[in-house]
Amino acid sequence: MMFEAPIQRLIDELARLPGIGRKSAQRLAFHILHVEEEDARRLAESILSMRSEVRLCDRCFNVTDSEECSICRDLRRDPSTMCVVERPQDIVVVEKTQEFRGRYHVLGGSISPIEGIGPDQLRMRELVARIEDEQVSEVIVATNPTVEGDTTALYLARLLKPLGVRVTRLASGLPVGGDLDYADELTLGRALVGRREM
Amino acid sequence: MELGWIELSGYRCYPEIRVEPAPGVNVFVGDNGSGKTSLLEAIGYLSSLRSFRGAPDAALVRTGDEAALVRGEFVAGERSLRVEVEIPVEGRRRVLVNGKRPSSRAEVVSAVPLVAFLPDDLDLVKRGPSQRRDYLDDLAAGLWPSAGAERTDYERALRQRNTLLRKEGRRADRATLDVWDDRLSHLGAMVIRRRLELLERLEPRLSALYAELGERPEVFTTRYEGAPLGPLSLSDVPGLRERLLDALGAARGADLERRVTTVGPHRDEVVAIIGDRDLRTRASQGEQRTVALGLRVAAYEMLREEKGATPVLVLDDVFSELDPGRSRRLVEKLPGGQVFVSTAREEEVPLVGTRWSVAGGRVTVREGE
Repeated sequence: MMFEAPIQRLIDELARLPGIGRKSAQRLAFHILHVEEEDARRLAESILSMRSEVRLCDRCFNVTDSEECSICRDLRRDPSTMCVVERPQDIVVVEKTQEFRGRYHVLGGSISPIEGIGPDQLRMRELVARIEDEQVSEVIVATNPTVEGDTTALYLARLLKPLGVRVTRLASGLPVGGDLDYADELTLGRALVGRREM
Repeated sequence: MELGWIELSGYRCYPEIRVEPAPGVNVFVGDNGSGKTSLLEAIGYLSSLRSFRGAPDAALVRTGDEAALVRGEFVAGERSLRVEVEIPVEGRRRVLVNGKRPSSRAEVVSAVPLVAFLPDDLDLVKRGPSQRRDYLDDLAAGLWPSAGAERTDYERALRQRNTLLRKEGRRADRATLDVWDDRLSHLGAMVIRRRLELLERLEPRLSALYAELGERPEVFTTRYEGAPLGPLSLSDVPGLRERLLDALGAARGADLERRVTTVGPHRDEVVAIIGDRDLRTRASQGEQRTVALGLRVAAYEMLREEKGATPVLVLDDVFSELDPGRSRRLVEKLPGGQVFVSTAREEEVPLVGTRWSVAGGRVTVREGE
C-alpha cells in the first residue's frame, strides 16, 4: 500500500536502513509525523551535522571530530599494544571493558572476496607503517569470530609476525556470570575445543 | 517431538492457513498441484530452515506477495519451541526461536529432529555423490550442532575462495589464497571427520535394515573417496588437515586456471556397497530402493536415540513408488511419533490416522474423523 508522496518517501528512506523492515519504517515515519516539529527538526539536523562534522582519525581511522581521535590523543594510553578491529563501533565495545589501555587500528572490514574486499581494500599498509613508527610490541586481533574475521586474523598474523611483533587473538568462550546450561551449543562447543590447562 | 500448529501466509499457494495437526498420523489427500507437498515443505522448513525440494527462499513466496511467513510450534513433553520465519522476496530472512534470534542456523537444525522421505530419494543411491554428501551433512547437522556450523563455515569459506578465483583468476593475491587454503583445510577436515564418523555408525545399521526391509541378507559397507586424497577412514583423521592443505597447494595451478576450487570435501565421493557390489551400477532398482529407504530409516533411528526425542516424520508421496510389501515393512519400522503423509491416492497409504483434504489453498479435516 502506498501513502501520500512525502510520507512514502520517508518510509522508503527509513526502510533502506539496516535492521529496518517495511513495518518498522512505517511506524517510525508516523511517529515522526506526530512529534513536535522542533523534535523532528532536531533529528534531521543531527543526521546532517553528524555527516558534516564526523571524520576518520588520521592515525587509527576511528570516528572523530578532529584530526586525531580522543584515544590517539590521550598520552596516558600505552602505544606499545594495539587492538585491531573491523569497524569503529567495535572500539566502543572494547573500551567498555576498561581492560585495554593501548591504542586501536580500524581495518574497515574483513577479507571477503564476495563483497570485493581484499587486503588492499583494508587498512593493512597503514597498520604495518604504524607498527614500525609507533614501536608496537603486541597486536591484539579483535576481528569478528566469523569465517571472514578468522581469515583476516590469520592474514594479519602472517603479515605481522615477520616484523617481530607479538600477535594474539581474542579467545572465544562462555559468557561470564551465566549458568553453563544457558550457553548455546555452538559457543559451548568452541569453548570446549579452546579449553585451557589449569 | 510434535508439531502443535503451523501457520502459513503468502507461502507458495497458501494466502493464509492455520493447521493444528493430530499428534499421530496425518494424511494430506489432494490432487497433484493442490499444495500437499508445499505444506510438508513448510513443516520441513521450520526444522531445517531450507526447502527439502531445494527451492531457493524467494521461490517460496506466493506470487504477488512481498514476503512469506511460516510459523509453528513444536512440543516435546514440557518443552515447547516456537519457530517463526519471515522470508522476503528480496533481502535476508528473519528467524525467531521462542521470540529470540538464534545464534545460527545450526542451532535451529539440531533443535527440531525431522526426517523426510521424498519421492526422488532413489537419487540418494542412483545419482552422483552430491546427494549422498548432503544426506550425510544434513544428518550430522541434525545430530551435532557443531557439525552444522562447521559445514556452514566450510561452504562459506569455499564460496569466498571460489569468488576470489573467479574474479581475479591468475591475478589473485597469493597471500590471500594462502589464508583461504588454511581455513578451507581446517574446516574441510572437520567436515570429512563428521562424514566418516557417520558412515561407521551407518554401516551396521544399514546391514540390519537391509534384511528387515525384505531383502536377502547382505552386508552394507561404504567407501569414502577423498578428492584427491583417495580412500579415507577414521584412522586418517589425524593429519587430515595437513594432507588437505598440501592437496590445495598442489591443485593451486589448476584452480587458478579453472577459476574454481577443485579439491576438498565438496568434491568427495561416497560409494555404497552391498555385499561386494557397487550399489549404483550393479544392484537392481528394488535393492537400490531398499537402501534409499534404509538410509532414511537409519537417520530416523539415530536422531531418536541421540536426541532422546522422536523425530517428526514426513512422507511425501512415498507409497506410490513402493510395492505393498516394502510399504508394510517400512511402516513397521517407524513406530510412534507424529507423521505427515501426502498422497493423491489415499488407498495407497497403509496408515491409520487423521485425514485432511487439500484443495484451493485450504486444508480441512475430513468429516467424521
